[in-house]
Amino acid sequence: MMMAVLESLVRMLVWLLLAPLLPGIINKVKAWVAGRRGPPVLQLYYDLARLWQKSVVMSTLASPGFIAGPAVAWVGVAGAALLLPLGPSSGGLSFHGDVLLMVYLLAVARFCTAWAALETGSAFEGMGAAREVSYAVLAEVSLITAVLTLAVQSGSVTLVTMLAPSAGPGAVLLAAGLFAVLLAENSRVPFDDPNTHLELTMIHEVMVLDHSGPPLAVILHGASMKLLLFAVLLTQAVLPVGQQTPFAAAALLAAGVLAVTVGVGLVESLLARFAFRRVPLLLTTAFLLCLFALLLAWKGGAA
Amino acid sequence: MNPGVLLAIAAGGFALGVAGAHRFPRVWLALVLAGTIALLGAAVPVLLGGGEWQWRSDFPVAGQPLHLRLDAISALFLALVAVLGGSGAIYAHGYWPDRDYPRSAAPGRRWWTALLLGLMAVLLASNGLHFLIAWELFAVSGYFLITLERRRREVRFAGWLYLVASHAGTMGLFAFFAALAAHTGSWDLGPMRDQPALAPLLWLALFGFGVKAGVFPLHIWLPSAHANAPSHVSAVFSGVAIKMGIYGMLRFSGWLPTPSGAAWVVIALGAVSALLGIAFAFAQNDLKRLLAYSSVENIGVILIGLGGALLGATHADAPWGRLALAGALLHVWNHGLFKALLFFGAGSVLHATGTREMSRLGGLWRTMPWTAALFALGAMAVSALPPLNGFVSEWLVYLGLFDATISRGPAAWAAMPAAIMLAMTGALALATFVKAGAIVFLGAPRTKAAVHAHESGWWMRAPMLGLGALCAVLGLAPILVWPIIVRAAATWDPAWTGGEAPALLTLSGVHVALAVVLGTAGLALWARVRALGVRRGPTWDCGYAVPSPRMQYTSGAFAEVALHWFSPVLRFERTVQRPRALFPQRALHVERAVETVLERVIGPIAGGVLRVSSLVRQLQHGRLQLYIVYVVVGLAGLGTLVFLEGLR
Repeated sequence: MMMAVLESLVRMLVWLLLAPLLPGIINKVKAWVAGRRGPPVLQLYYDLARLWQKSVVMSTLASPGFIAGPAVAWVGVAGAALLLPLGPSSGGLSFHGDVLLMVYLLAVARFCTAWAALETGSAFEGMGAAREVSYAVLAEVSLITAVLTLAVQSGSVTLVTMLAPSAGPGAVLLAAGLFAVLLAENSRVPFDDPNTHLELTMIHEVMVLDHSGPPLAVILHGASMKLLLFAVLLTQAVLPVGQQTPFAAAALLAAGVLAVTVGVGLVESLLARFAFRRVPLLLTTAFLLCLFALLLAWKGGAA
Repeated sequence: MNPGVLLAIAAGGFALGVAGAHRFPRVWLALVLAGTIALLGAAVPVLLGGGEWQWRSDFPVAGQPLHLRLDAISALFLALVAVLGGSGAIYAHGYWPDRDYPRSAAPGRRWWTALLLGLMAVLLASNGLHFLIAWELFAVSGYFLITLERRRREVRFAGWLYLVASHAGTMGLFAFFAALAAHTGSWDLGPMRDQPALAPLLWLALFGFGVKAGVFPLHIWLPSAHANAPSHVSAVFSGVAIKMGIYGMLRFSGWLPTPSGAAWVVIALGAVSALLGIAFAFAQNDLKRLLAYSSVENIGVILIGLGGALLGATHADAPWGRLALAGALLHVWNHGLFKALLFFGAGSVLHATGTREMSRLGGLWRTMPWTAALFALGAMAVSALPPLNGFVSEWLVYLGLFDATISRGPAAWAAMPAAIMLAMTGALALATFVKAGAIVFLGAPRTKAAVHAHESGWWMRAPMLGLGALCAVLGLAPILVWPIIVRAAATWDPAWTGGEAPALLTLSGVHVALAVVLGTAGLALWARVRALGVRRGPTWDCGYAVPSPRMQYTSGAFAEVALHWFSPVLRFERTVQRPRALFPQRALHVERAVETVLERVIGPIAGGVLRVSSLVRQLQHGRLQLYIVYVVVGLAGLGTLVFLEGLR
């Protein structure tokens, strides 16, 4: 019991401390492709530390939900991350159907982010929230289809057993589908551009326009944790991380996450943001990729 | 106490309530509350394992001996009737008082009690004829409740549509019970799974009960009736009245043998209702219409669970069937609780502002903090977000579908599409309720009515608080009700008694921990923000200096992105008046989601029938000479027939 609690704490610390590294790596990759020096890899850590010290400017229209929203969303993402096994270790909290709880904890985060965005009554934030919840419909369908694939592949609905084996015949399709979901859920190019300063073209960034100080820090940290979560999920869904020895699993996981992160950076450097009307097409493609992976898993596995 | 005595007390209380409704609102309230508490007292022991209660008497009612039965399934619904009937009565005391509605308050009370009596009788009747009588009592009192404000044209239309649809369903039920009685030789109801000849009758029951439940193509009456009824009536309609359709399907799919294919049809109907129901909900700009369509969605979720259970029962009583059924049964309660809460919230908004149009509201959290907080809670529950109750039941349904998939039998081909559609439904429900809550309660007030809103009184707030608390309790500790659900599932299919339970204990623990952490995190962040200091300023709005509240995102704009994808079934009707000339006076842009089934399918068909009828009616014109011609021609025709027969 003591050990399980201790292990959960350590895992939580790993999630909390490593997550802000990812946006730094992405930015470094982008700078490197563009031939710039770029911001330091640890830039987000500095930003978070500074934001945590700053006082807050709040819209006169905002209710207490404006502060509670980011906090609840952060807890939702952190809870989802804690449910996700890291390699062979399930972290003690593993039960039949935990994968659905994970998906719905991410939904809690989405609900609260959109709610907090609409607190301000700004048309821009309304636009961002509308886009976020609408595109999430297609992303969630793809995600559940991917989860179904893993369930069919492994014959289980428990994350730790679902993620242990490799994805089988549909691995490439599943990887591509999940990668697209990762880009959409984390508002990266080609769905959204985290660097743009034109509010009309944004999804996630425009939702947090009015946040400042510690709530903004919480939002940024939550976003980085969500990125890490999807990267870990993608790596473990495709590679048989759970079947390795702890050390090998850690190395494999780190390599996988790094590869995904660099991949995001490369996509961001080489691709322009899509026009909004083409975003649903891309998400439908992601869904179809996951669906074909599901059918392959169905055909491939032994009955 | 014996359930029979308690039920008699409840019935007596309601009957007195019908009689006393006219003059004494407080006495009436006390009677109804006493009645609902007695109902709860009768239902709870049965749910907790007290065993089934049956009562037979040779005393004939409508020529049939009386036979009442209260088992775990009917007790499950009866408990919901008691909770919502009682809380709705309290709410109505503040919401629909004699002072404001001198003409309709007393009839409202009378029909409310009649409705409760009818619901109670439907749930207890174990005789086909009595079931039909009770069904009719409940349907007709529903009509009078919906049309309490019948001076308004759209209310009369909604009531008329309800009455027609309801009777179309009742016709199916008449056929069903009559055929059942003809087959078995008695109107008495009970388990008859051993008579395979009865299986086809279930289709009739599915139609009849499907109309009442509001399953997708049969839901035409539901949105307008729920939107135009007084809010406490909408709450009890969405919460329990449409659940009577579910009760009927559950009851008779448990008692009768299942025709092959019924499971697939039910699961498909459920998935379609869920997805299209929520898509139409997202498209609405009227808060109560939105909630009504969300009921179609939730009925769909329940039917997916029921379909999964039927599939499981035909696949060697697979354990996943029981999970799906458990999800459906629990969702009956959960949807009843959070939907009533949301309708009460919508009623408070309507009471405070006089409008249901979301695009005329906004910023109500400041004047109505209680309603806003409770509506937000209900919105999170209906979006199936942990740690609230909606998640628990959807989780069980999902688990049933996933386990059916990994069992790799033919059932997987129903379970996989259903799971994918359920995922889409869940995400759309979240979008819908972010929109509903945020457009109404957040931002700046869009009209004067919204500026001058006021919080509702304690009569209206207390039932909302109670329902909100129940939503939270069922979410945090679903393990408490699991034995009840198991008992009801075992009543449905006696083969399902043992078996391992899902990880509800773990889920309860996780939910409690999550709630604690959520609260702590919120408070911690708030404390941090307070410590650093808060400066209030206008919304940034990208530097725009004089934003007007009308520039906020509206409910139509919010839903626009996603609704494109449903354009084959979901169309919009636009009324546009553009600004013209140098000094434009008036511009208008109204958008309305077309009720596709009603206006594009049923409407034209009904129009055709009417045209044919009016052609036929021209035969009836009142000219005596021509009538004599008809008679002569008729006689001549008959004579010719006889003559020809004689020749042969």
